[in-house]
Amino acid sequence: MATAIPSIACLGVIGRNNNPLHTSIFPSYDPSTNSFHPVRTHLQFALILSSTLDVFELRSRQNAAAGVGLTGDFGLLHAIDDRLAAYGFETNTGTRFVAIVDMRGRRLDGAIADARDKRIAGAAAGLREGEMRPVFKAMQMAYTRLMQNPFYDPDEHSPPAGQGGKKITSRKFTEDMRRIGETWMPGVGSL
Amino acid sequence: MASSKASRLGEEYLERTRMDKVNAELVVLTYGTIVVQLCKDFDSDYVEVNKQLDKMGYNIGLRLIEDYLAKSNTVRRCSNFRETAEMIAKVGFKIFLNITPTITNWTSDGKQFSLVFDENPFADFVELPDDGRAQDELWYSNILCGVLRGALEMVQMQVEAHFVSDVLRGNDTTEMRISLIRYIDDELPPEDD
Repeated sequence: MATAIPSIACLGVIGRNNNPLHTSIFPSYDPSTNSFHPVRTHLQFALILSSTLDVFELRSRQNAAAGVGLTGDFGLLHAIDDRLAAYGFETNTGTRFVAIVDMRGRRLDGAIADARDKRIAGAAAGLREGEMRPVFKAMQMAYTRLMQNPFYDPDEHSPPAGQGGKKITSRKFTEDMRRIGETWMPGVGSL
Repeated sequence: MASSKASRLGEEYLERTRMDKVNAELVVLTYGTIVVQLCKDFDSDYVEVNKQLDKMGYNIGLRLIEDYLAKSNTVRRCSNFRETAEMIAKVGFKIFLNITPTITNWTSDGKQFSLVFDENPFADFVELPDDGRAQDELWYSNILCGVLRGALEMVQMQVEAHFVSDVLRGNDTTEMRISLIRYIDDELPPEDD
């Protein structure tokens, strides 16, 4: 018996000027062909990431008005369809991390054996609050490491003038994103 | 013998003194800024950047040696270059950077050795620019070569130091090669005629 469990389909980093800094796309399991494919094209993921920007702005305005959640986890931003859902995180500097989760991206083979499997399978019905926290924590760590690299110029990537900027080209950062996207599954404590 | 003595000296120093510590990130970021600024100033002429770093290190070394002598409690000269190497690696680097590079690859005449850095605090987080040249030309931590050259010159040793590999460039190790050129004789003041 196989159970479908959630996996990460796309990780995006967006700069404070609403400029895309980084996008990583991960393949999902396709039962009809028994192989792994991305569920959307690069352009479609880019559009989904862009569409989260309005939600970010709305949420942060609501939060500011209510005087709560100045920074951090924004939780579920929007559910795109019955498979994909976008989760968000914003740092104090206005850098935003988005994780698009494919609710049926992986398959858990065999019978549900132990408590851990049960928990993972249970999560398939819907991600619990805080399930994405390790992802954002790890993304923030990777981003911090990137910022510590003296050859990385933040002003080149998110100019203070507020227009445009370069994308992240760091190999280490890209590698970190790949690791996070591939290893995360519900119930993972840290990445 | 000399080896264990040197590492004991280094350890003792750290125990004896509640040393003023400085935040590691501050050092890393400051050094990084210097290197990046040099790269900008010299238009990414990395050969020139290496030279400037070495020169800056040399000027640091000239001063740092006094601090080293005061802090390390050394009472006598090293009897040979091997002992000098031990003191550099196990006392000097221990005091100032809290690392202990490994001494290897001695030549048979005992005048050349390598320091292999298992960890290099300067290079934490660093990723060299992907312009196709930095990986081949820039020695990021070149300031250390200058420091050693300057410091040893003040204690009558003329040495030549350069990096031969760096993990930042994709090598397996970070290795610095140090060669003794000569002992500088104490120069007598010119006689009054």
